Amino acid sequence: MTSSFILIGMFSSLVALMLSGAGLAFVLGAIAFLSTIFIWGPNALIVTTLNTFETMTSESLMAIPLYVLMASILQKSGIIEDLYEAMEKWFGNLHGGLAIGTVVICTIMAAMTGVVGAAVAAMGILALPSMLKRKYHPPLALGAICAGGTLGILIPPSVVTIVYAITAQISIGKMFIAGIIPGIILAASYSIYIYVRARLDPTIAPINEDMADIPLGEKLRALKTLILPFFVIISVLGSIYAGIATPTEAAAVGVFGAILSSAISGRLKVDQLSQAAADTLRVTAMILWITIGARAFISVFVATGGADSILSFVQDLEASRWVVLAAMMFILILLGLFLDEIGIILLCVPVFLPIVKLLGFDPLWFGVLFMITAQMAYITPPFGYTLFYLKGVLPDHIGIGQVYRGVIPFFLIQVVVLILFIMFPQIVTWLPELGSAQLQ
Amino acid sequence: MLYAAQLVTRVNKLLFDSVKWVIFLIAGLMLFEVISRYTFTAPTSWAPELATLLFGPFFLFGGPYLLHIGGHVAVDIVSANAKGRTKLLLTALSMLLALVFGAILLRFSLPLAVSAFEYGETSYSGWNPVIWPAKAALPFAALLLILQALAELIVLFSGKETAQ
Amino acid sequence: QEKVTWRMQALWGGGTTPMLYEEKFAKRVSELTGGSFEITTFAGGQIVPSAQSFDAVRGGAFELMKTFDGYTAGKIPSHGFSSTVPFGFPEADMYEAWFYEAGGLDLAKKSYAPAGLTYVAPTVYGEEPLHSKVAIRTIADMNGLKGRFVGLAASVLADFGVAVSPLPTSEVYSALDKGLIDFADRGDVKANYEEGLHEVAKYLILPGFHQPTTATSYVANTAAYDKLSDQHRAALEVSAREVSGALRQNIMVDNAEYLAKFEAAGVEIIRLDAADIAQARVKAVASWEKAANGDDVALEMMNTQKDLMAQFGLL
Ligand code: NA
Ligand code: NA
Repeated sequence: MTSSFILIGMFSSLVALMLSGAGLAFVLGAIAFLSTIFIWGPNALIVTTLNTFETMTSESLMAIPLYVLMASILQKSGIIEDLYEAMEKWFGNLHGGLAIGTVVICTIMAAMTGVVGAAVAAMGILALPSMLKRKYHPPLALGAICAGGTLGILIPPSVVTIVYAITAQISIGKMFIAGIIPGIILAASYSIYIYVRARLDPTIAPINEDMADIPLGEKLRALKTLILPFFVIISVLGSIYAGIATPTEAAAVGVFGAILSSAISGRLKVDQLSQAAADTLRVTAMILWITIGARAFISVFVATGGADSILSFVQDLEASRWVVLAAMMFILILLGLFLDEIGIILLCVPVFLPIVKLLGFDPLWFGVLFMITAQMAYITPPFGYTLFYLKGVLPDHIGIGQVYRGVIPFFLIQVVVLILFIMFPQIVTWLPELGSAQLQ
Repeated sequence: MLYAAQLVTRVNKLLFDSVKWVIFLIAGLMLFEVISRYTFTAPTSWAPELATLLFGPFFLFGGPYLLHIGGHVAVDIVSANAKGRTKLLLTALSMLLALVFGAILLRFSLPLAVSAFEYGETSYSGWNPVIWPAKAALPFAALLLILQALAELIVLFSGKETAQ
Repeated sequence: QEKVTWRMQALWGGGTTPMLYEEKFAKRVSELTGGSFEITTFAGGQIVPSAQSFDAVRGGAFELMKTFDGYTAGKIPSHGFSSTVPFGFPEADMYEAWFYEAGGLDLAKKSYAPAGLTYVAPTVYGEEPLHSKVAIRTIADMNGLKGRFVGLAASVLADFGVAVSPLPTSEVYSALDKGLIDFADRGDVKANYEEGLHEVAKYLILPGFHQPTTATSYVANTAAYDKLSDQHRAALEVSAREVSGALRQNIMVDNAEYLAKFEAAGVEIIRLDAADIAQARVKAVASWEKAANGDDVALEMMNTQKDLMAQFGLL
């Protein structure tokens, strides 16, 4: 029972110190240090430093500054504002049109990277100012970015999916294909929700009446503002899917594309590059220092047996297969309260997968449920990395409370979609099975 | 004391303003690798590795100044409404946590960086560079974080604001 | 006697076959000591990233690790020779013979001692295959291809005209899929099949000359090791040697099973000519010498390996 004691101790001190308003990186780090000293011995403190060395040379995390830089250059050179203006001309009289457009851009972004921090921070920089400027209600705008930004876990390429596939010993390719349809269904559900919500309460996403009768000619002319953003998107997606670059390298291609676009549009200034670089360092340092603290926290939590009691609870559970499945999902969300997705996978997949197989569930299908649950864990208040990453790029007058309020409806949508996939597994499995049928 | 605090802040700001440009170098290195591999079938072993070696120092050196500008994400639900003495104590607590974090990172990373130097540790890759400079970035950044946390505490209890 | 509890971090993911053998190892140690020596096992990366275990054990965070010496070859040049040697011993039994019959074990202990670590025993097993999108039927066919290799293999294969990219392991599948590289090494036959490499590379090349044989090692913190009784130490050694043979035989059987699966998935298995590899081995010796980097223990390891290879008629 000591392990449940550790679990409770670490969790309650996390909540208490977090609420004190101290930097999250330091809260996580300090709890990790103190628990290490008390329950593992001071020698073990070295572990926290060793994890940092690994974080310092992570190729996949390097995608974060590169995508943030790309986003910041595009935003500072006004290319994105042009894009939102065009969107407004076309969809200005569609309820919640800009937020729906944001979800669409998030979905495209999800096909570029699987690093949640990169997508969310980049979208916070890109999309938020344009939506706020048009009087969108902050919680709606923030919720759309949080939910959309985490789609990258499910839609390939995705580091989390790779780690799951390797740990679960199923094909990475199949796992990738399996994520596509559920990802699109989630994106569509977010969009439908935004539309319905904005239609019921137009004050949260004001319709621009001036846009109602814009002549078609002007609308078509506005389309040319799409050229530059699309050029950047195609340079990134093209270099990934044509086999020219890894996803992280593609982000560097995207930076080059962004600089080129802002030069073409005649708005490239050294001052803007300097500001973009400062933004990038600010956001990257914020996310990566949290990562250092989180990694320290996770290794202590694992090594001292903090997770054991929860996991053995599932192992010993003798109930119907659906109850066990629900218990596993619930535990994923619970652990997601304070572990990152890679930590959750390393911890849970080896424990859960034998159970999943024993109960006769498909590991591929479970993988998709797992990824959706990981997304939910990412946006569940009070502790969700997406929420913090987004907070890091918010203007000062928007507090984290608004972010919390914004994500709750999207969380509920995820619950509904998750239940849908549990009830109809074919939605998840038909595409990868089609792919493997063709292979044979 | 106050002067020392301002000096620390100025040094960390200078570091932040210089290090931020490194991201263009990282992007350039990766782009160079893509071009030389794809166009010339001549991948380098050094460009991607140099990029990853720069990445750590890049984000680490941004941390100390971030503490000054309040850029480390925090849950501000309670602290935003706190006033007077409570607010002061909460801020002091948050700086103390940063101080503890930095102190322990420094205590445990310094010997590792020194040992990497003494071993002449290399990465054992095709390029095989020595890696102690990258490892040394951690104790260095931790030290600067400690100093910045101290600086913030000094300013906090002297009741004055420093210029950014 | 006094009860001892240790922590050990292994190299493998939880639930994988080699990890099961690490759990067997811990169980065996407990059995052999009447339950007076318990080792709690952790999967690779659960506490620290595998490549950082060396410093974690040195610092006393956990007492024992299963490591791959290649991770620390940048610190200790001899570790290139106690982990895997490109174009080295073609049979796992030969490599294990070097450890137990030709002084390899003592040299490995010597390499770890200055760091405050005690080398306990190796686990030795066979080759890892190569996966290619183009047919490689001779060593010369690699010339001009783009390949993914890390460690010493990266420099050796560069000497054979391969354009080497040191991509992360997690990128191998997509890099082959998208044609970023022509061929790659990754893990063993079973692991690579489970990762789906048959979907993205139509040729599997044997033997994996870049990694013909592999040794992973049990290494303990010397201060903790010195406190063990003779019985506990013996239990570690006996269990390690038992696991080495057991895992190797398991891999042998799995390889046969999974090679058949690769073939069933339409992958052509190419077996290179032994004479071709023997010729390449002579050329690789120059790279080995470069890797030894003038280090005494490394040179001693290399020379004892070369002597044994000569005795076996390999050089
Ligand atoms: Na993705
Ligand atoms: Na959460």
